[in-house]
Amino acid sequence: MSTSDQESCAKASCLHDLMRQTLLRREYFYSLGAGLGSVALTALMARDTAADSESSPLATKPTHTNAKAKSCIFLMMEGGPSHIDTFDPKPALDKIHLQEFVREGEQKSAMESGKRYYVRSPFKFVKAGQSGADIAENWTHLANVADELCFFRGCQVDSVNHPTAMYQMNCGNRFGGDPGIGAWVTYGLGSENQDLPGFIVLPEVSYPQGGSANWSNGFLPAHFQGTPLRAKGSPILDLNPTPGTTRDHQRKNLDLLTKLNSEHAARHPGHDELWARMNSYELAFRMQMQVPEVLDISREDARTLEDYGIGKQSTDAFGRKCLLARKLVEQGVRFVQLYNGTWDSHDFIERAHGNLVSGVDQPIAALIGDLKRRGLLDSTLIVWCGEFGRSPDNGVRGGTAYGRDHNPKAMTVWLAGGGCRAGHTIGATDDLGMSAVEEVHHVRDFHVTLLRLLGLDDNRLTYFHAGRFKQLSQFGGQVIQPLIA
Amino acid sequence: MRINSRVRAAHIVGKSLSFPTMVLCLLWMMPNSAFADSSDELLFVRRVKPVLAAKCLPCHGENRDDIKGGLDLTDLTKTNRTGDSNEKVIIPGDAAHSPIYLAVTRHDSTWSAMPPKEADRLTNEQVAWVKLWIDQGAPWPDEVRTRELLSTADADSAADGVTVATSGGTSAGWTNRKYQVDGLWAYQPVRKPHTQATGAAAIDELIGRLMPDGVTLSPPADARTFIRRATFDLIGLPPTPDEVESFERQYAIDSDAAVGRLIDRLVASPHYGERMAQHWLDVVRYADSSGFANDYERGNAWRYRDYIVRAFNSDKPYDQFVREQIAGDELEPNNPEMLIATGFLRMGPWELTGMEVAKVARQRFLDDVTNSVGESFLAHALQCARCHDHKFDPIPTADYYAIQATFATTQIAEREAMFLPSENTSGFDEQRFLQRTRAGHLATLAAIDEKSLLAAAAWYIEQKLDVQPWKDAVESAGKNAKSKRGGIFGAARNSLLQKKIPEEKIPPRMVGLTAQDMGLARIANKGLERLAWELDRYRPYALSVYNGRTPTVKSVNAPLRVPDNPHQNGELEQTCILVGGDPFAAGKPVAPGLLSVIGRFSSEKSAGAAPAGVTVGQVNGRDEDQRLAEQQADQTPIAGRRRELAQWITDDKNPLTSRAIVNRIWMWHFGEPIAGNPNNFGSSGKRPTHPELLDWLAATLVEQRWSIKSLHRQIMSSAAYRRSAEHDDRESLMAIDPQGTSYASFKPRRLSAQELRDSMLSVTDELNRTLGGIPNRPEINFEAAMQPRQVMGTFASAWVPNPLPSQRHRRSLYSLKLRGLMDPALEVFNAPAPDFSCERRESSTIVPQVFLLFNSRASQSRALAFASRVLRESTTDDSAITKCFRLAFGRTPLASELQACKHHWSTMQVIQAQINFATQPIPLEVRRDAVEENSGERITFVEQLYANAEFVPDLLPQDCNARTRALADVCLVLLNSNEFAYIY
Repeated sequence: MSTSDQESCAKASCLHDLMRQTLLRREYFYSLGAGLGSVALTALMARDTAADSESSPLATKPTHTNAKAKSCIFLMMEGGPSHIDTFDPKPALDKIHLQEFVREGEQKSAMESGKRYYVRSPFKFVKAGQSGADIAENWTHLANVADELCFFRGCQVDSVNHPTAMYQMNCGNRFGGDPGIGAWVTYGLGSENQDLPGFIVLPEVSYPQGGSANWSNGFLPAHFQGTPLRAKGSPILDLNPTPGTTRDHQRKNLDLLTKLNSEHAARHPGHDELWARMNSYELAFRMQMQVPEVLDISREDARTLEDYGIGKQSTDAFGRKCLLARKLVEQGVRFVQLYNGTWDSHDFIERAHGNLVSGVDQPIAALIGDLKRRGLLDSTLIVWCGEFGRSPDNGVRGGTAYGRDHNPKAMTVWLAGGGCRAGHTIGATDDLGMSAVEEVHHVRDFHVTLLRLLGLDDNRLTYFHAGRFKQLSQFGGQVIQPLIA
Repeated sequence: MRINSRVRAAHIVGKSLSFPTMVLCLLWMMPNSAFADSSDELLFVRRVKPVLAAKCLPCHGENRDDIKGGLDLTDLTKTNRTGDSNEKVIIPGDAAHSPIYLAVTRHDSTWSAMPPKEADRLTNEQVAWVKLWIDQGAPWPDEVRTRELLSTADADSAADGVTVATSGGTSAGWTNRKYQVDGLWAYQPVRKPHTQATGAAAIDELIGRLMPDGVTLSPPADARTFIRRATFDLIGLPPTPDEVESFERQYAIDSDAAVGRLIDRLVASPHYGERMAQHWLDVVRYADSSGFANDYERGNAWRYRDYIVRAFNSDKPYDQFVREQIAGDELEPNNPEMLIATGFLRMGPWELTGMEVAKVARQRFLDDVTNSVGESFLAHALQCARCHDHKFDPIPTADYYAIQATFATTQIAEREAMFLPSENTSGFDEQRFLQRTRAGHLATLAAIDEKSLLAAAAWYIEQKLDVQPWKDAVESAGKNAKSKRGGIFGAARNSLLQKKIPEEKIPPRMVGLTAQDMGLARIANKGLERLAWELDRYRPYALSVYNGRTPTVKSVNAPLRVPDNPHQNGELEQTCILVGGDPFAAGKPVAPGLLSVIGRFSSEKSAGAAPAGVTVGQVNGRDEDQRLAEQQADQTPIAGRRRELAQWITDDKNPLTSRAIVNRIWMWHFGEPIAGNPNNFGSSGKRPTHPELLDWLAATLVEQRWSIKSLHRQIMSSAAYRRSAEHDDRESLMAIDPQGTSYASFKPRRLSAQELRDSMLSVTDELNRTLGGIPNRPEINFEAAMQPRQVMGTFASAWVPNPLPSQRHRRSLYSLKLRGLMDPALEVFNAPAPDFSCERRESSTIVPQVFLLFNSRASQSRALAFASRVLRESTTDDSAITKCFRLAFGRTPLASELQACKHHWSTMQVIQAQINFATQPIPLEVRRDAVEENSGERITFVEQLYANAEFVPDLLPQDCNARTRALADVCLVLLNSNEFAYIY
């Protein structure tokens, strides 16, 4: 070995040690926490100095205004649940059931062509709780927590198509590519837990129309992207090495990589990104051990599992998501979005919506009750919505198989916990549920209100991109005060 | 743009003194200046009043019916000085206690921040003006005095900003508003700065002029580093070891000559066009599918992608390149290449479903194409002027619609266009897999039809109705409706309905069908619909446009062809200003035109549709312009509009076009553009760091007949480009040049997503270097490939890779790009999503990159192929490791590296010898569980993956011995190393 080789070898070995120490520091960790799988446990590394946390993109940031809600669980019923058949009874439809409906005018689309009829709801309604909230009788569990809910019947969106309406409900912009609300909130508040992503998505096995752009970081830095934990298979793509590769095997590869990278970094001094990339490998190595533990619900007691409907065929899938959502919020994750669907019941609404409701009713009620028992409901804002409501009329396609089409002008969304005005129903639609008529607000106002409940001011939660300060509401909106306690 | 000569003088002054600084100096000097006695009034008239008008009056005066907080700020001498709070909002002489001042500072506990939107906040300078004005007594001169003050304004008034002549806004206030001069840089004519040197040396001279004092420059990069940098920059692949060594030898003899020859060789490579196309496709948002609910494939998009490759390879003059993409079909209607070129106009996501109002969808296309032309060629996001006159830039909404009027007669279609000899039309036989899928769907529908017919017959018996009319209907339907949607049953049913037989006397639509049947029928029908788009890939059609009236279309669920009589049938669209961007709120009509802030050029031939709506300069002649525009709007011919626009955009004198492209090319070499927002040269975009250099490059490009290859030669021969990324004293460099804009040292970069994959395939010798052709489907993460993905009415089909390795291992440029399914391996390395134009790629380091690069089967395959290749081509352990390093890094290993790698190899061989690999068969079908969207019932169906039957896997671990697999562990490490991922 030549002298210069020996020198560089000694230098590298010194660096190697330094590297090992550096790896225990957390300064790069947060800058790595994005994309498909930045999941690690609190136990992953000891908590570091405040200075380290402050330098992280996910470090907690002060709110703009006082707020009760610290985190948000967003229940996205993709496909467009029918307000008329869930939380906004329209007895007037009973009288005109199957009378013909005609829409004319410039807004008519092919969806409204052919013969159309008014359709009554197949569901009976009850007055639930002290507040006497209108709830379809098949929501038997949710009715028990009715007084925790704040129904809003005034929301409207612009789009009549699923993906564009989904993008608008999730990102404020109809065309996709903008940050999701979870990305905005995490950007604004950071996250309580530095070892988990701030924004976690629990999608259905099949992705919704519009795909992962629904939880995109858009133009915000990659650290705020929604991290989907997949319902089937590997929760995070390629979390584990190829079959046959043991942990020891991988560690040995990693050691060689560290050695080569250290020597390389020594030849290229002053380029910090090289060290960041080296750190990301160590972190990934630890994470693949820890992720399964985060997802493990086997340590929950039997009663809890039963409450959430876990183990029962109709409720198992969504029950697991709701329970996981509680665990994640407990661990300080800022924003969890759950998907369920598809609620796009054009025909057979009684059966279609009936099945869907029976899949989510018990888990959602259990989640609300569980959070309340643990004293977390006040600090957790729960949002339930779809991307639009449904029409009081339908082209009767299957003879008697009544369903409903899309309706961006009327829908019901509800809130629970997090400082919302529980036990109230705000706004109203017309007699037929065709359009919102009281406390009518574009979805941008709903977004502004959600941000406000989380202590954020939409006008201050901005990001300069492509020559303009951008915000969730696109161009500003107003807080819907009646939704706030 | 016309601005007076005094302003030009100010612009020049502004070069040495930044503009805001200049204004502030001016202000603070005022009390001592010639107009000391009127300085406080002047401050109000010139500074404060415009701020109030822009920032406060929208809520506090403009709308007389809705004065927020009861505070009217139109004229505080006439109205009360308090709002609802009953507190004086201004205390003359005491800004620190004046609510208005406290509100605009945005950090007072009593007075909430104003204006409410963070985006509208006052600049620090503006806040300072408000403070100074109040402290000086807050004078409010009346109108007479204001006019007097303004009429006596001297040369310094340039500091107030300047008015800019445009076709005029929707209000006089907008038309006459003032702009800060430095924000108007992009509209000034390109002026080539005088330089002592010429060619590449001129670039260094211009960079040198702005080099901060005390900076030491990095030395030139060594030969190996340079050839790696240049090769990736121009062809997106690593240099071969032989290329590196040959270049090192030549470089030692005559470095300048060696660099010159290297660049010549690289720009002559057919892979040069591929690399440039990757950049260009980022800008235009290329994808092989339409996005949104259906995400239908755009079968012919690949021909546009290949047109871009050809254009760069042939060094097509950039002006011609632009003209062809905007108006190829008008320039040479019979040339397929020209029809293909207009694919540019089709790049945005678009669809029309039956759910949507057709006019709204049409407007989405028009808005998309208008903005895209602006962003791509003029570095202006025009969408800001869609709903209102532009807030920051001199672009009235009338100009937005004038450009849009150009496209009012542009209709989308997949047009017949013969394949060219230059196109790669191989591999079309893969459509046999699609045909099998098609046959499967038809069989499903036939079986369900059969079931329906049986159930219908039973239904008649059950209902005790006469079955004869039904039998007749079935018989006649059977003759001609075999393959129609709904089958014989549906056709028979429809014929009875048409005969006005009451519906209750006809078998119900879904008679006898289970939810499963209904689900399968829907999936088969939608599947057939989707296949039509995919099968278009192999047919001589181009994703293109034609001129004509707008046809009545309710939904688009099959490729669109040019209709008969396009000039006669349909609506002749008359473009109007759409109030608030609403397609149903038509305002004044607008004729086709251009950006009036630039105006027409004397060199331009005025022919055909003369866009009179954009006559420049006459701010007061607006009514006349408007009348003329309305008149001409009706008379503008259907065809030729785009050619007009394209000619204006590519006029040698158009200052936006040449600056926009040289700025992009510069960024493609240095990682940093000269003007920081390549898609936004407006006042809100970043200013050029080296304006003279930008102009020199733009002027030189035009002089050299818009040759992009000449531009590369000049840029890459410069000392700035040849500098090393290493610096002796990085700390002091960072202190002097914290933004890193001096070009004193070269900025390293991580390989882009596509370069990373292509490089891996290149060093393993698996890369299929064939140019162009139908998109290929490499293996992506298996779970992502099988991920069920909802599209309208069904699931999108699974990602089925090409059967043969050579088909899969093509350059990433050719990988089928679906808007609804990004390859996770590309996405995670910052490949942009095709929703918006990507002016510049990000390069972030995130953990999922490790999972993809270290753990994935794809990486394992590359490592195995790498090891296997190296063992084939070497004889000893030492030479094998050396070969690995030469291929991956272009150098031989250091002794320590050689030692470490050999040691690892032998260690891993022991471990590898103990692993047993199970063969994992590739699935031939995938079972999908779904909740049938209409019935809410759970259904399952099976998707056949026909191509998988012929699947030939990449090299598998079980096909290799432990020695090879152990070397593959070394190779995996090399492919993951920083030296592989970064270029310096």
